[in-house]
Amino acid sequence: MVKVLFFDAPYFGKVELAKKTLEYILKKKYKIIALYASVQFCNQLDVVKKQLEAAGIAWVTSKADRTHVTSQVLGCDNYHSSLNLKAQADAYLYVGDGKFHPLALVYGQKDLSKDEVKEIICNDPIEKKFELLDILHIKTILKKYKGSLLKFLNATTVGVLITVKPGQEQMKPSFYLEKKFPNKKFYYFLDNVVSFDQLENFPFVKVWVNTTCPRVGFDDQLKFEKGVINLNDALEAEAILGKDSAMNGL
Amino acid sequence: MGYDLELSKVVQEITKSKGKLVCIQLPDGLKPQAMMIVDTIQAETGARVLIWLGSNFGACDIPLGVKNLGVDLMICWGHNPFHKKVGW
Repeated sequence: MVKVLFFDAPYFGKVELAKKTLEYILKKKYKIIALYASVQFCNQLDVVKKQLEAAGIAWVTSKADRTHVTSQVLGCDNYHSSLNLKAQADAYLYVGDGKFHPLALVYGQKDLSKDEVKEIICNDPIEKKFELLDILHIKTILKKYKGSLLKFLNATTVGVLITVKPGQEQMKPSFYLEKKFPNKKFYYFLDNVVSFDQLENFPFVKVWVNTTCPRVGFDDQLKFEKGVINLNDALEAEAILGKDSAMNGL
Repeated sequence: MGYDLELSKVVQEITKSKGKLVCIQLPDGLKPQAMMIVDTIQAETGARVLIWLGSNFGACDIPLGVKNLGVDLMICWGHNPFHKKVGW
């Protein structure tokens, strides 16, 4: 492997909460906020923290499993446990641009119980804009995924997608599916990136399990006519659909 | 643009490593900066620079096979080191 150097490309503009963001948090009477950001904004959260404290709002945060710094959220943090957030919060606050990172916080809520689902308040410091991923929005997204989970539990022939990219490759963990589901037959497919246009060439596959980037299982759901779920969710499918889970009753 | 690309540090690292063939990888939002980055690296270090055309979703998404072309150094912007776990 060639030596790889990373440069975060930190944002050097002003990072603060928009007036509307603070107004919304106060209007909702949130007392504790779970604070996260994409890496470009992580080193500049001090002003945001002071704004929250001045408004009487406490903040909590954590260092997620795959991240390099505290408060950073990655697109693959779509399993609640990977956030390592021990404290309770009334809502999430994401500081950064775009939807890619805050959507990880949406997807992670499939692992929670019905009463624990929280909305995600997005504050874009570049556009000075406030946006909301509210509970209804979260439930609509998770509903699609629930359909694929049910399909997986009922399927007997399953296609498993594996990438050769070292950072995303999960071949050996995927073999555990055979132990967990001895009545299903698993076929394993190898690729660099998932070639969506090739999926239809394997009509015997009744549902797909994705072991590549876990965002493929969510963001690309519409490209899988047969449905797709991620490896971790396949292994925990019964628990995720359990009686008190956020996915139940959607 | 608003993002610090730390080009002087990049030049320093390339010079230190004596890299002659460098591959740069950028997330979509920074791809328009590729021309400026390549021109700067070439002018300051004399290294030849290849631009990765494809995806750069994260530090988990590093191109394979570049070593076969003799690339000495990969430089990726917009991400920090990724701590891979077994399973997701």
